[in-house]
Amino acid sequence: MMRETRIRRLPMALSALVALALAVLPLPAVLEAFRPDFLVLVVFYWSIESPRAGGLTLAFVSGLALDVVHGVVLGQHALALTLMAAWATHLRLRLRVFSMLSQCLTIFALLTGYQFVLFWVDGATGNPVTAFGRWLAPVIGAALWPPLVATLSRMHER
Amino acid sequence: VVAFRNTDTSGRTTGLLLRCVLYSLVALGLIIVDKRYDHLGRIRRMLSIVAYPVQIAVASPFEGWDWFRESVSSRAALRADKAKLEAELRVAQFRLQRYDALEAESQRLRALRDSTAGVTDRFIIGNIMDVDLDAFRERVLVDKGAQDGVFVGQAVLDAGGVFGQVARVEQLTSEVILVSDATHAIPVQVNRNGLRTIAVGTGDMTKLKLPYLPTSADVVTGDLLVTSGLGGGFPAGYPVGTVAEVKRDPAQSLADVDVKPAAALDRSRELLFVWMKPPPPASAAAAAPAAGVPAAAAPAAAAPAAAHTTPPPATTVPAKPAKPAKPPAAGANGE
Repeated sequence: MMRETRIRRLPMALSALVALALAVLPLPAVLEAFRPDFLVLVVFYWSIESPRAGGLTLAFVSGLALDVVHGVVLGQHALALTLMAAWATHLRLRLRVFSMLSQCLTIFALLTGYQFVLFWVDGATGNPVTAFGRWLAPVIGAALWPPLVATLSRMHER
Repeated sequence: VVAFRNTDTSGRTTGLLLRCVLYSLVALGLIIVDKRYDHLGRIRRMLSIVAYPVQIAVASPFEGWDWFRESVSSRAALRADKAKLEAELRVAQFRLQRYDALEAESQRLRALRDSTAGVTDRFIIGNIMDVDLDAFRERVLVDKGAQDGVFVGQAVLDAGGVFGQVARVEQLTSEVILVSDATHAIPVQVNRNGLRTIAVGTGDMTKLKLPYLPTSADVVTGDLLVTSGLGGGFPAGYPVGTVAEVKRDPAQSLADVDVKPAAALDRSRELLFVWMKPPPPASAAAAAPAAGVPAAAAPAAAAPAAAHTTPPPATTVPAKPAKPAKPPAAGANGE
Protein backbone atom coordinates (compact mmCIF):
# COMPACT_ATOMS: atom_id res chain seq x y z
CA MET A 1 0.00 0.00 0.00
CA MET A 2 2.71 2.39 1.05
CA ARG A 3 4.71 1.62 -2.04
CA GLU A 4 1.75 2.14 -4.29
CA THR A 5 1.16 5.65 -2.96
CA ARG A 6 4.78 6.58 -3.45
CA ILE A 7 4.78 5.46 -7.04
CA ARG A 8 1.75 7.59 -7.71
CA ARG A 9 3.26 10.69 -6.18
CA LEU A 10 6.35 11.06 -8.34
CA PRO A 11 4.54 11.57 -11.68
CA MET A 12 2.11 13.79 -9.82
CA ALA A 13 4.83 16.12 -8.55
CA LEU A 14 6.72 16.01 -11.86
CA SER A 15 3.72 16.87 -14.00
CA ALA A 16 2.74 19.67 -11.60
CA LEU A 17 6.26 21.15 -11.81
CA VAL A 18 6.25 21.05 -15.60
CA ALA A 19 2.81 22.67 -15.65
CA LEU A 20 4.03 25.38 -13.27
CA ALA A 21 6.95 26.08 -15.60
CA LEU A 22 4.50 26.33 -18.52
CA ALA A 23 2.48 28.84 -16.51
CA VAL A 24 5.40 31.29 -16.40
CA LEU A 25 6.91 30.50 -19.81
CA PRO A 26 7.29 33.77 -21.69
CA LEU A 27 4.93 33.98 -24.64
CA PRO A 28 4.57 36.66 -27.30
CA ALA A 29 2.18 39.32 -26.06
CA VAL A 30 -0.41 38.33 -28.67
CA LEU A 31 -0.58 34.75 -27.41
CA GLU A 32 -0.45 35.61 -23.73
CA ALA A 33 -4.18 35.96 -23.30
CA PHE A 34 -4.67 32.52 -24.79
CA ARG A 35 -2.45 30.69 -22.33
CA PRO A 36 -4.38 27.73 -20.92
CA ASP A 37 -4.20 26.97 -17.20
CA PHE A 38 -1.97 23.90 -17.52
CA LEU A 39 -1.48 23.43 -13.81
CA VAL A 40 -5.24 23.50 -13.20
CA LEU A 41 -5.78 20.79 -15.81
CA VAL A 42 -3.04 18.66 -14.26
CA VAL A 43 -4.57 19.05 -10.81
CA PHE A 44 -7.97 18.05 -12.19
CA TYR A 45 -6.44 14.98 -13.80
CA TRP A 46 -4.89 13.80 -10.55
CA SER A 47 -8.03 14.59 -8.56
CA ILE A 48 -9.94 12.28 -10.88
CA GLU A 49 -7.26 9.64 -11.30
CA SER A 50 -6.07 9.15 -7.73
CA PRO A 51 -7.82 11.35 -5.21
CA ARG A 52 -6.37 9.39 -2.31
CA ALA A 53 -2.79 10.25 -3.17
CA GLY A 54 -3.44 13.75 -1.94
CA GLY A 55 -5.47 15.35 -4.71
CA LEU A 56 -6.68 18.22 -2.55
CA THR A 57 -3.29 18.84 -0.97
CA LEU A 58 -1.80 19.00 -4.44
CA ALA A 59 -4.52 21.45 -5.44
CA PHE A 60 -3.88 23.71 -2.43
CA VAL A 61 -0.09 23.68 -2.82
CA SER A 62 -0.30 24.26 -6.60
CA GLY A 63 -2.68 27.12 -5.96
CA LEU A 64 -0.22 28.72 -3.55
CA ALA A 65 2.56 28.29 -6.13
CA LEU A 66 0.39 30.03 -8.74
CA ASP A 67 -0.31 32.86 -6.29
CA VAL A 68 3.41 33.36 -5.78
CA VAL A 69 4.47 33.23 -9.43
CA HIS A 70 1.56 35.41 -10.58
CA GLY A 71 2.20 37.83 -7.73
CA VAL A 72 -1.44 38.14 -6.70
CA VAL A 73 -2.99 38.12 -3.24
CA LEU A 74 -1.85 34.97 -1.43
CA GLY A 75 -4.59 32.33 -1.30
CA GLN A 76 -6.54 33.35 -4.39
CA HIS A 77 -5.57 30.53 -6.72
CA ALA A 78 -5.35 28.17 -3.73
CA LEU A 79 -9.00 28.80 -2.90
CA ALA A 80 -10.21 28.46 -6.49
CA LEU A 81 -8.17 25.36 -7.15
CA THR A 82 -9.18 23.64 -3.88
CA LEU A 83 -12.88 24.20 -4.52
CA MET A 84 -12.77 23.04 -8.11
CA ALA A 85 -10.51 20.05 -7.39
CA ALA A 86 -12.95 18.95 -4.69
CA TRP A 87 -15.75 19.22 -7.21
CA ALA A 88 -13.74 17.22 -9.74
CA THR A 89 -13.06 14.55 -7.12
CA HIS A 90 -16.74 14.43 -6.33
CA LEU A 91 -17.57 13.94 -10.02
CA ARG A 92 -14.76 11.52 -10.77
CA LEU A 93 -16.71 8.25 -10.94
CA ARG A 94 -19.13 9.76 -13.40
CA LEU A 95 -16.33 11.42 -15.35
CA ARG A 96 -14.60 8.10 -15.93
CA VAL A 97 -17.53 6.67 -17.88
CA PHE A 98 -18.24 9.85 -19.79
CA SER A 99 -17.39 10.08 -23.47
CA MET A 100 -14.47 12.35 -24.24
CA LEU A 101 -16.80 15.14 -25.39
CA SER A 102 -18.78 15.06 -22.17
CA GLN A 103 -15.54 15.02 -20.22
CA CYS A 104 -14.39 18.13 -22.08
CA LEU A 105 -17.67 19.88 -21.33
CA THR A 106 -17.38 19.01 -17.64
CA ILE A 107 -13.81 20.28 -17.58
CA PHE A 108 -15.01 23.45 -19.27
CA ALA A 109 -17.55 23.95 -16.49
CA LEU A 110 -14.88 23.34 -13.83
CA LEU A 111 -12.45 25.76 -15.48
CA THR A 112 -15.15 28.39 -15.77
CA GLY A 113 -15.92 27.94 -12.08
CA TYR A 114 -12.21 28.34 -11.37
CA GLN A 115 -12.05 31.58 -13.35
CA PHE A 116 -15.16 32.78 -11.58
CA VAL A 117 -13.63 32.30 -8.13
CA LEU A 118 -10.50 34.16 -9.31
CA PHE A 119 -12.67 36.92 -10.75
CA TRP A 120 -14.58 37.20 -7.49
CA VAL A 121 -11.45 37.38 -5.33
CA ASP A 122 -9.95 39.95 -7.75
CA GLY A 123 -13.04 42.07 -7.32
CA ALA A 124 -13.24 41.58 -3.54
CA THR A 125 -9.60 42.59 -3.05
CA GLY A 126 -10.06 45.71 -5.10
CA ASN A 127 -8.27 45.14 -8.38
CA PRO A 128 -10.78 43.74 -10.80
CA VAL A 129 -9.54 42.47 -14.17
CA THR A 130 -12.45 42.91 -16.49
CA ALA A 131 -10.60 41.99 -19.67
CA PHE A 132 -12.71 39.62 -21.68
CA GLY A 133 -9.65 37.52 -22.45
CA ARG A 134 -9.74 35.70 -19.12
CA TRP A 135 -12.91 33.87 -20.11
CA LEU A 136 -11.11 32.38 -23.11
CA ALA A 137 -8.85 30.23 -20.96
CA PRO A 138 -11.61 27.70 -20.03
CA VAL A 139 -12.42 27.08 -23.71
CA ILE A 140 -8.79 26.46 -24.61
CA GLY A 141 -8.25 24.40 -21.48
CA ALA A 142 -11.22 22.16 -22.25
CA ALA A 143 -9.95 21.67 -25.80
CA LEU A 144 -6.57 20.61 -24.40
CA TRP A 145 -8.07 18.03 -22.03
CA PRO A 146 -7.94 14.97 -24.37
CA PRO A 147 -4.23 15.31 -25.30
CA LEU A 148 -3.38 16.06 -21.68
CA VAL A 149 -5.19 12.95 -20.44
CA ALA A 150 -3.46 10.85 -23.09
CA THR A 151 -0.03 12.19 -22.12
CA LEU A 152 -0.51 11.89 -18.39
CA SER A 153 -2.02 8.41 -18.47
CA ARG A 154 0.93 7.21 -20.59
CA MET A 155 3.35 8.70 -18.09
CA HIS A 156 1.36 7.07 -15.32
CA GLU A 157 1.45 3.65 -16.98
CA ARG A 158 5.19 3.32 -16.73
CA VAL B 1 -9.16 5.40 -25.02
CA VAL B 2 -8.70 4.16 -21.49
CA ALA B 3 -7.96 7.42 -19.83
CA PHE B 4 -8.06 6.48 -16.20
CA ARG B 5 -6.49 3.23 -15.15
CA ASN B 6 -6.74 3.50 -11.42
CA THR B 7 -8.77 0.53 -10.25
CA ASP B 8 -9.57 2.14 -6.95
CA THR B 9 -13.10 3.16 -7.80
CA SER B 10 -14.74 2.85 -4.43
CA GLY B 11 -17.16 5.72 -4.10
CA ARG B 12 -15.86 7.01 -0.83
CA THR B 13 -13.12 9.55 -0.58
CA THR B 14 -12.71 9.88 3.11
CA GLY B 15 -13.48 13.32 4.39
CA LEU B 16 -13.42 15.04 1.01
CA LEU B 17 -15.90 17.65 2.14
CA LEU B 18 -14.09 18.17 5.42
CA ARG B 19 -10.72 18.64 3.73
CA CYS B 20 -12.23 20.88 1.07
CA VAL B 21 -13.78 23.15 3.71
CA LEU B 22 -10.56 23.15 5.73
CA TYR B 23 -8.33 24.11 2.80
CA SER B 24 -10.81 26.70 1.56
CA LEU B 25 -10.93 28.32 4.99
CA VAL B 26 -7.14 28.40 5.13
CA ALA B 27 -7.06 29.98 1.65
CA LEU B 28 -9.72 32.54 2.60
CA GLY B 29 -7.78 33.32 5.77
CA LEU B 30 -4.63 33.85 3.71
CA ILE B 31 -6.45 36.20 1.34
CA ILE B 32 -7.85 38.27 4.20
CA VAL B 33 -4.60 38.41 6.16
CA ASP B 34 -2.58 39.21 3.02
CA LYS B 35 -4.99 41.92 1.94
CA ARG B 36 -5.84 43.56 5.23
CA TYR B 37 -2.77 43.21 7.36
CA ASP B 38 0.25 42.72 5.13
CA HIS B 39 1.86 40.32 7.63
CA LEU B 40 2.60 37.70 5.03
CA GLY B 41 5.68 39.30 3.55
CA ARG B 42 7.99 36.79 5.18
CA ILE B 43 5.91 33.76 4.17
CA ARG B 44 5.63 35.07 0.65
CA ARG B 45 9.37 35.63 0.49
CA MET B 46 10.03 32.07 1.64
CA LEU B 47 7.61 30.72 -0.94
CA SER B 48 9.16 32.87 -3.62
CA ILE B 49 12.56 31.37 -2.89
CA VAL B 50 10.99 27.98 -3.61
CA ALA B 51 9.49 29.31 -6.85
CA TYR B 52 12.75 30.98 -7.89
CA PRO B 53 14.34 27.81 -9.37
CA VAL B 54 11.29 27.30 -11.58
CA GLN B 55 11.51 30.88 -12.79
CA ILE B 56 15.25 30.51 -13.38
CA ALA B 57 14.72 27.23 -15.22
CA VAL B 58 12.16 28.81 -17.50
CA ALA B 59 14.17 31.95 -18.14
CA SER B 60 17.55 30.28 -18.69
CA PRO B 61 16.94 28.72 -22.15
CA PHE B 62 15.98 32.12 -23.50
CA GLU B 63 18.96 33.75 -21.85
CA GLY B 64 21.16 30.93 -23.14
CA TRP B 65 19.90 31.50 -26.66
CA ASP B 66 20.63 35.22 -26.37
CA TRP B 67 24.11 34.44 -25.10
CA PHE B 68 24.66 31.95 -27.93
CA ARG B 69 23.55 34.42 -30.56
CA GLU B 70 25.80 37.04 -29.06
CA SER B 71 28.80 34.75 -28.94
CA VAL B 72 28.50 33.64 -32.57
CA SER B 73 27.77 37.09 -33.94
CA SER B 74 30.18 37.98 -36.68
CA ARG B 75 33.22 40.18 -36.42
CA ALA B 76 31.71 42.66 -38.87
CA ALA B 77 28.55 42.98 -36.79
CA LEU B 78 30.59 43.53 -33.65
CA ARG B 79 32.70 46.19 -35.36
CA ALA B 80 29.59 47.96 -36.59
CA ASP B 81 28.18 47.78 -33.08
CA LYS B 82 31.36 49.19 -31.64
CA ALA B 83 31.43 52.07 -34.12
CA LYS B 84 27.83 52.88 -33.32
CA LEU B 85 28.44 52.79 -29.56
CA GLU B 86 31.50 54.99 -29.91
CA ALA B 87 29.51 57.52 -31.88
CA GLU B 88 26.78 57.48 -29.27
CA LEU B 89 29.31 57.84 -26.50
CA ARG B 90 30.82 60.88 -28.20
CA VAL B 91 27.43 62.54 -28.42
CA ALA B 92 26.64 61.64 -24.83
CA GLN B 93 29.94 62.99 -23.57
CA PHE B 94 29.45 66.16 -25.52
CA ARG B 95 26.10 66.61 -23.83
CA LEU B 96 27.56 65.75 -20.45
CA GLN B 97 30.11 68.54 -20.62
CA ARG B 98 27.60 71.02 -19.38
CA TYR B 99 25.81 68.59 -17.11
CA ASP B 100 28.01 69.02 -14.06
CA ALA B 101 27.67 72.77 -14.17
CA LEU B 102 23.92 72.57 -14.67
CA GLU B 103 23.60 70.01 -11.88
CA ALA B 104 25.50 72.25 -9.50
CA GLU B 105 23.36 75.19 -10.46
CA SER B 106 20.21 73.16 -9.99
CA GLN B 107 21.38 72.07 -6.54
CA ARG B 108 22.03 75.63 -5.52
CA LEU B 109 18.65 76.78 -6.76
CA ARG B 110 16.99 73.92 -4.93
CA ALA B 111 18.86 74.81 -1.78
CA LEU B 112 17.51 78.33 -2.13
CA ARG B 113 14.00 76.94 -2.37
CA ASP B 114 14.96 74.53 0.43
CA SER B 115 13.66 71.52 -1.42
CA THR B 116 15.74 68.51 -2.18
CA ALA B 117 12.63 66.52 -3.06
CA GLY B 118 13.11 64.51 -6.19
CA VAL B 119 16.90 64.58 -6.35
CA THR B 120 18.32 61.20 -7.23
CA ASP B 121 20.92 59.85 -4.87
CA ARG B 122 22.14 56.57 -6.30
CA PHE B 123 20.86 53.66 -8.35
CA ILE B 124 21.41 50.00 -9.10
CA ILE B 125 20.74 48.11 -12.31
CA GLY B 126 18.37 45.15 -12.47
CA ASN B 127 17.60 42.75 -15.29
CA ILE B 128 14.09 41.78 -16.29
CA MET B 129 13.62 38.04 -15.92
CA ASP B 130 12.11 36.24 -18.87
CA VAL B 131 8.94 35.09 -17.16
CA ASP B 132 5.36 36.16 -17.63
CA LEU B 133 3.46 37.16 -14.54
CA ASP B 134 -0.09 37.83 -15.54
CA ALA B 135 -1.46 38.36 -19.02
CA PHE B 136 -3.85 41.08 -17.92
CA ARG B 137 -1.59 43.15 -15.72
CA GLU B 138 1.43 45.10 -16.88
CA ARG B 139 4.10 43.85 -14.53
CA VAL B 140 7.59 42.45 -14.86
CA LEU B 141 9.82 40.45 -12.58
CA VAL B 142 13.32 41.84 -11.96
CA ASP B 143 16.30 40.05 -10.44
CA LYS B 144 16.87 42.54 -7.63
CA GLY B 145 15.08 42.12 -4.34
CA ALA B 146 15.07 42.88 -0.64
CA GLN B 147 18.66 41.80 -0.26
CA ASP B 148 19.73 44.57 -2.65
CA GLY B 149 17.74 47.10 -0.66
CA VAL B 150 14.90 47.48 -3.16
CA PHE B 151 11.74 48.79 -1.49
CA VAL B 152 8.08 49.04 -2.38
CA GLY B 153 7.22 52.25 -4.21
CA GLN B 154 10.76 52.76 -5.47
CA ALA B 155 11.00 54.53 -8.81
CA VAL B 156 12.27 52.43 -11.72
CA LEU B 157 13.72 53.98 -14.89
CA ASP B 158 15.13 52.65 -18.12
CA ALA B 159 17.39 54.29 -20.67
CA GLY B 160 14.47 56.18 -22.21
CA GLY B 161 12.63 57.43 -19.16
CA VAL B 162 10.33 56.40 -16.36
CA PHE B 163 9.51 52.69 -16.50
CA GLY B 164 7.37 52.18 -13.40
CA GLN B 165 7.64 51.52 -9.71
CA VAL B 166 8.28 48.57 -7.45
CA ALA B 167 5.02 46.89 -6.50
CA ARG B 168 6.32 44.05 -4.41
CA VAL B 169 9.68 42.97 -3.05
CA GLU B 170 10.74 39.39 -2.51
CA GLN B 171 14.05 38.20 -1.13
CA LEU B 172 15.82 37.81 -4.50
CA THR B 173 13.41 39.37 -6.96
CA SER B 174 10.98 42.22 -7.15
CA GLU B 175 7.91 42.98 -9.17
CA VAL B 176 7.76 46.24 -11.09
CA ILE B 177 4.44 47.71 -12.13
CA LEU B 178 4.75 49.53 -15.47
CA VAL B 179 3.56 53.10 -15.96
CA SER B 180 1.19 51.67 -18.56
CA ASP B 181 -0.65 49.41 -16.08
CA ALA B 182 -4.29 50.35 -15.82
CA THR B 183 -3.95 50.89 -12.07
CA HIS B 184 -0.87 53.11 -12.28
CA ALA B 185 -0.80 56.90 -12.17
CA ILE B 186 2.17 59.27 -12.10
CA PRO B 187 2.34 63.02 -11.50
CA VAL B 188 3.79 64.74 -14.57
CA GLN B 189 4.48 68.18 -15.92
CA VAL B 190 4.51 69.47 -19.49
CA ASN B 191 8.16 70.38 -20.05
CA ARG B 192 7.33 73.31 -22.33
CA ASN B 193 5.14 75.30 -19.94
CA GLY B 194 5.20 73.54 -16.57
CA LEU B 195 1.54 72.50 -16.72
CA ARG B 196 1.01 69.85 -14.04
CA THR B 197 -1.27 66.88 -14.37
CA ILE B 198 -1.41 63.11 -13.84
CA ALA B 199 -0.64 60.44 -16.44
CA VAL B 200 -2.50 57.18 -15.94
CA GLY B 201 -1.86 53.83 -17.60
CA THR B 202 -4.28 52.21 -20.00
CA GLY B 203 -3.27 48.55 -19.89
CA ASP B 204 -1.71 49.06 -23.32
CA MET B 205 2.11 49.27 -23.32
CA THR B 206 2.17 51.86 -26.09
CA LYS B 207 -0.19 54.35 -24.54
CA LEU B 208 -0.78 56.49 -21.44
CA LYS B 209 -3.58 58.98 -20.95
CA LEU B 210 -3.95 62.42 -19.40
CA PRO B 211 -7.56 62.28 -18.28
CA TYR B 212 -7.65 65.35 -16.03
CA LEU B 213 -6.82 68.18 -18.46
CA PRO B 214 -9.53 70.70 -19.35
CA THR B 215 -10.28 71.20 -23.03
CA SER B 216 -8.64 74.60 -22.86
CA ALA B 217 -5.33 73.27 -21.45
CA ASP B 218 -2.22 74.29 -23.32
CA VAL B 219 -0.98 70.93 -24.52
CA VAL B 220 -0.11 70.07 -28.10
CA THR B 221 1.08 66.99 -29.95
CA GLY B 222 4.79 66.48 -29.43
CA ASP B 223 4.95 68.00 -25.94
CA LEU B 224 7.42 66.26 -23.66
CA LEU B 225 6.06 65.19 -20.28
CA VAL B 226 8.49 64.90 -17.40
CA THR B 227 7.99 63.77 -13.82
CA SER B 228 7.04 66.66 -11.59
CA GLY B 229 8.44 65.10 -8.44
CA LEU B 230 5.20 65.90 -6.62
CA GLY B 231 3.98 63.10 -4.42
CA GLY B 232 7.55 62.13 -3.64
CA GLY B 233 7.46 58.79 -5.39
CA PHE B 234 9.50 59.70 -8.43
CA PRO B 235 12.53 61.92 -8.91
CA ALA B 236 11.72 65.13 -10.74
CA GLY B 237 12.59 65.90 -14.34
CA TYR B 238 12.72 62.45 -15.94
CA PRO B 239 10.88 61.98 -19.24
CA VAL B 240 7.62 60.04 -19.01
CA GLY B 241 6.40 60.35 -22.58
CA THR B 242 5.48 62.60 -25.46
CA VAL B 243 1.98 63.70 -26.31
CA ALA B 244 0.85 61.66 -29.29
CA GLU B 245 -2.63 62.97 -29.85
CA VAL B 246 -4.92 65.61 -28.38
CA LYS B 247 -8.64 65.27 -29.03
CA ARG B 248 -10.77 68.21 -28.01
CA ASP B 249 -14.47 67.62 -28.09
CA PRO B 250 -16.26 70.96 -27.47
CA ALA B 251 -19.10 69.07 -25.82
CA GLN B 252 -16.78 67.66 -23.17
CA SER B 253 -15.12 69.61 -20.40
CA LEU B 254 -12.00 67.45 -20.40
CA ALA B 255 -9.60 66.87 -23.29
CA ASP B 256 -8.68 63.38 -24.40
CA VAL B 257 -4.88 63.22 -24.52
CA ASP B 258 -2.87 60.16 -25.57
CA VAL B 259 0.77 59.89 -24.54
CA LYS B 260 3.47 57.68 -25.98
CA PRO B 261 5.68 56.41 -23.13
CA ALA B 262 9.32 57.45 -23.25
CA ALA B 263 10.59 54.19 -21.75
CA ALA B 264 10.83 51.14 -24.02
CA LEU B 265 8.23 49.31 -21.96
CA ASP B 266 8.10 46.28 -24.24
CA ARG B 267 11.79 46.09 -25.13
CA SER B 268 13.94 47.11 -22.18
CA ARG B 269 16.01 44.46 -20.44
CA GLU B 270 17.94 46.57 -17.95
CA LEU B 271 16.20 48.78 -15.43
CA LEU B 272 17.50 51.35 -12.96
CA PHE B 273 16.26 51.31 -9.39
CA VAL B 274 16.56 54.84 -8.06
CA TRP B 275 17.15 56.05 -4.52
CA MET B 276 16.26 59.64 -3.82
CA LYS B 277 17.79 61.95 -1.28
CA PRO B 278 15.65 62.04 1.82
CA PRO B 279 13.88 65.36 2.31
CA PRO B 280 15.72 67.59 4.77
CA PRO B 281 14.46 67.41 8.35
CA ALA B 282 12.65 70.49 9.66
CA SER B 283 15.70 71.93 11.45
CA ALA B 284 17.93 71.48 8.41
CA ALA B 285 15.25 73.04 6.21
CA ALA B 286 15.26 76.11 8.43
CA ALA B 287 19.03 76.33 8.24
CA ALA B 288 19.24 75.74 4.49
CA PRO B 289 18.08 79.16 3.28
CA ALA B 290 20.50 80.81 5.66
CA ALA B 291 23.32 78.77 4.18
CA GLY B 292 21.99 79.09 0.65
CA VAL B 293 21.64 82.85 0.44
CA PRO B 294 25.23 83.77 1.23
CA ALA B 295 26.41 81.12 -1.20
CA ALA B 296 24.36 82.67 -3.96
CA ALA B 297 25.40 86.14 -3.00
CA ALA B 298 29.08 85.20 -2.87
CA PRO B 299 31.32 85.76 -5.89
CA ALA B 300 30.19 83.54 -8.74
CA ALA B 301 33.52 81.75 -8.92
CA ALA B 302 33.31 80.42 -5.38
CA ALA B 303 29.84 78.98 -5.49
CA PRO B 304 30.21 76.63 -8.49
CA ALA B 305 33.54 75.44 -7.19
CA ALA B 306 32.05 74.65 -3.80
CA ALA B 307 28.98 73.02 -5.27
CA HIS B 308 31.00 71.17 -7.83
CA THR B 309 32.68 69.01 -5.26
CA THR B 310 29.45 67.52 -3.91
CA PRO B 311 27.20 66.46 -6.80
CA PRO B 312 29.39 63.97 -8.69
CA PRO B 313 29.27 61.20 -6.08
CA ALA B 314 25.56 61.86 -5.73
CA THR B 315 24.45 61.64 -9.32
CA THR B 316 26.99 60.94 -12.00
CA VAL B 317 28.55 57.85 -10.46
CA PRO B 318 26.28 54.83 -10.87
CA ALA B 319 26.46 53.51 -7.34
CA LYS B 320 27.53 49.91 -7.26
CA PRO B 321 25.11 47.49 -5.69
CA ALA B 322 26.67 47.94 -2.30
CA LYS B 323 24.92 47.41 1.01
CA PRO B 324 22.05 49.89 1.23
CA ALA B 325 22.73 52.28 4.03
CA LYS B 326 19.16 52.78 5.14
CA PRO B 327 16.59 50.44 3.66
CA PRO B 328 13.90 51.01 6.33
CA ALA B 329 14.24 54.77 6.09
CA ALA B 330 14.14 54.54 2.30
CA GLY B 331 11.06 52.37 2.48
CA ALA B 332 9.29 54.89 4.64
CA ASN B 333 10.35 57.61 2.25
CA GLY B 334 9.05 55.77 -0.77
CA GLU B 335 5.57 55.28 0.60
